[in-house]
Parts: sequence; C-alpha cells; structure tokens
Amino acid sequence: MESSHGHDHAHDHPHAELGQAGRPGYYDMLETAVRELLVERKLIGADEIRRQIEVLDSRTPALGAKIVARAWVDPAFRARLIADGRATCEADFGVTFYDDTSLIVLENTDKVHNLIVCTLCSCYPRPILGLPPDWYKAKPYRARAVIEPRAVLAEFGTVIPDDVEIRVHDSTAMVRYMVLPRRPAGTESYSEDQLAALVTRDTMIGVVPITLDGGRVAR
Amino acid sequence: MTQTENLVKRLPNDIGGLSAEPVQQLDHVLEPWEKRCHALADVLDFHKIINTEEKRCGVEALGAEMVGKLTYYERWIVAFANILFRKGILAPSDVAHKMAEVEARWTNDTAGASTAQPRR
Amino acid sequence: MSNPSHTANGAGYRIVPALGETPIFHAGDRVRVLTREPIGHYRVPRYLRGKTGVVKTVIEPAGIDNEEEGYGRNAGNRRHYYRIAFPMTAIWPDYVGSPRDGLFIEVYETWLERI
Repeated sequence: MESSHGHDHAHDHPHAELGQAGRPGYYDMLETAVRELLVERKLIGADEIRRQIEVLDSRTPALGAKIVARAWVDPAFRARLIADGRATCEADFGVTFYDDTSLIVLENTDKVHNLIVCTLCSCYPRPILGLPPDWYKAKPYRARAVIEPRAVLAEFGTVIPDDVEIRVHDSTAMVRYMVLPRRPAGTESYSEDQLAALVTRDTMIGVVPITLDGGRVAR
Repeated sequence: MTQTENLVKRLPNDIGGLSAEPVQQLDHVLEPWEKRCHALADVLDFHKIINTEEKRCGVEALGAEMVGKLTYYERWIVAFANILFRKGILAPSDVAHKMAEVEARWTNDTAGASTAQPRR
Repeated sequence: MSNPSHTANGAGYRIVPALGETPIFHAGDRVRVLTREPIGHYRVPRYLRGKTGVVKTVIEPAGIDNEEEGYGRNAGNRRHYYRIAFPMTAIWPDYVGSPRDGLFIEVYETWLERI
C-alpha cells in the first residue's frame, strides 16, 4: 500500500484493489510519483512513510482522554499539566511533540469556557488528539468561531450562559491547545478508565461539554 | 486597481471573521493516499526538505481558486510538488514521467492480472 | 530568562544580550497589532490588524519568525511571541455575545507596538 520500490510489481500497489471501482485519482498518483522519486533519490527512506503512518495511527483522542481523566483525579498532575502541557505529557505519557510546538491545556470552569480554532490553517494538538475532523479544517468553523463563538457552539447543541466568559484560542504559531473539560457531577466513584471513557474529541476542542453518556447519544 | 489589491492583501486561507455557512459536522476516514500524504509532510519536515511553515506558505501560494476547490490533502500534494520544483529537488518532467509510469503500472495490472493482489 | 546587563558581582564578566533577545513587552502591557499589509506569507490574521489587547504571557523560549520561516529562513535570530488577550468587543464592532468574551492568540514581537 505504501512506498513501492519503483519497479517491482510483485509488491502491494497503492491503488484501488483490482475489481473495485476506479483507477487511482490524479492526486493519489501525484503523491505516489513524488514519494517514489524522493525515495529513488534517497532523500527519504523507503520505509519512513509506513513508519510515520504507524505514528499517526497511534495518536487518537483516547490519549487526550487519559490525560483529562488523570487531571481530574490527580491535582498535582493537573497543576503540572497547566503549568507546562508539553513537558508534563512528555514526562508522564511519553508523548512526542512536533518541532518547537508547546501545549497549553485550557481549564474550563464555571466561569470560563474555552474553544480552540485555527483560522489560518488547521493547527491542532495532533500528538494527543490525532488528526482533526474535517469540520475543524473547513471554512464555516474557522471563519465563524472567532467572531460568533456562541452561535457556533449552539450549532453543536452547546449553550453557554452569558455570565460565563468564552475564550477563543486561535492557533497561529507554536502553541497548541487542548481544552480540559469540566468533570461532570455524579462521577465521584468512577475509576480513571471510566472517566476517560466520558471524554470525547469534541469535548477537548471545546465545542461540547462532557456528558455522562460519553457522547454516545447523537446530538 | 483597488479592487484587486484585496486579493494580494488577504491570503486565501485568512478567513477569520468572514461570513460563512452553518458548521456541518462532516468528517471522513482518510483515503490511503491522504494518510500517506500526511506522513509525507512529516517525513519531509523531519529531513528538513520542507518545513511546516513552508508547506503552509506553499498552500497559500496556490491561490484562491485552488484553495477553494481542492480538498485539504490535494492542496498539500500540489504544494509539495511546487516547492520541490522551486528548490530544484525535482523537475516537473520527473514528476510527469513518474505519474505516467504509475498510471501505466495500474493499466497493465488491470489488463493483465488474473488474480488480484491483496491490498495491505 | 533574559535579563538586561546581567552582571555577576565580583566575577569579572558581564552578559550582554544580543539584539532582539530580550523581550520588549511583558505580561500586562497594552499593545496594538500593527496595520502592516505584507505581500506573501503572514501569520497575523487580518481581523486583528490595528486591534488593541493585553499581553498575557511572554512565550519562552524566543522563536523563529514564522513568516520568514515560510520562505525557508528557519535559523538565525529569534524574538519572542506573545500570547495576547483581546476582548471580542475590541475586535468586532457588532459582537454578539457576552462583553466578557475574549480571543487569545500568539503574535510575534515585530507585529506589536506599545500603547
């Protein structure tokens, strides 16, 4: 599926399975061409794409959920996480971050609700949440989250009272953000794993609060 | 000429505050090539061939029409090709020949194969 | 982290920070985003140009100018990014929401002036 070795057709091909609809699309073939040329010229290694796909696949919101659950049950961890998000995730969870990016974990409280967006592109805390959803990268969310956050939140079914301050964080440089949602009432007896199961990707972007059904009920 | 100045002054990706439609909570599972494309971005950055900011700059440089009409990873791969050409790492003819080869490979496989190769 | 003319008494040396190394702004400073209109790659959205906010944090360590980095210039001098808080009402004249609502964003030092 990934980097072929140029001319050996006995290996997997990165194209549609025979018998299925369609030749590879134009951009699929462009990607294949660029990648194979770079490998042939030894500018990238033959196996590096596959390896990096494994890295990407390993990153899912489940990691962010564990971090949130830990913060809910361990005040000292929470304090370190707020003080230095990157260092704490590196030390306690072995997360690796891109380049010089840092992580700021934003605490939701009864007075403050946080929301993250990247108006210019799609900056997102990938090392702890995985890849962002399409809607996060598309125009409506990016254009409107910074000018009418309450209307955008309402489209997600989230109504924030007027006496609660909304903070919108637009990522444009090196800082990446993750929302630390409020722990819901009625979870005092939950284990850390049970708490983590309540935390979905969208709660860590800030568009919805945590619910006891863990987001399983369609909005 | 003042009307066209705005095209120069506002990058096509700079959309914060512009009017837009309601958010549709769309998402899709990445196509294999899209995931390879994302991995390629990371590997290019790792090797200091194209850094993340150069990628962003390259996507912006596609211009408003392409930015509006190409999908997310389509923009990335075209931007990568352009940047690699500009840096003299690949030539357009290299990519053209290789794409023809890739296409021919597929055509030969579909024409000649009697047993399907399982895809990983 | 960077102190101007850091002197070790009696130790016989003086540290002089290089150009741009010391942050110009500090937490609590009121700053305005410049109204520059660059051609090419920029990372300060147009919606912020000319707007006034308050520095919340000086981001450490200093960083590469991402607008230059977009053209491959990713080494050399570093300056500070600042996390700035803007009341929504300072950005959008007809903002619909709470007057408490705000926007937080990182801005490179070369884009700011003190007011």
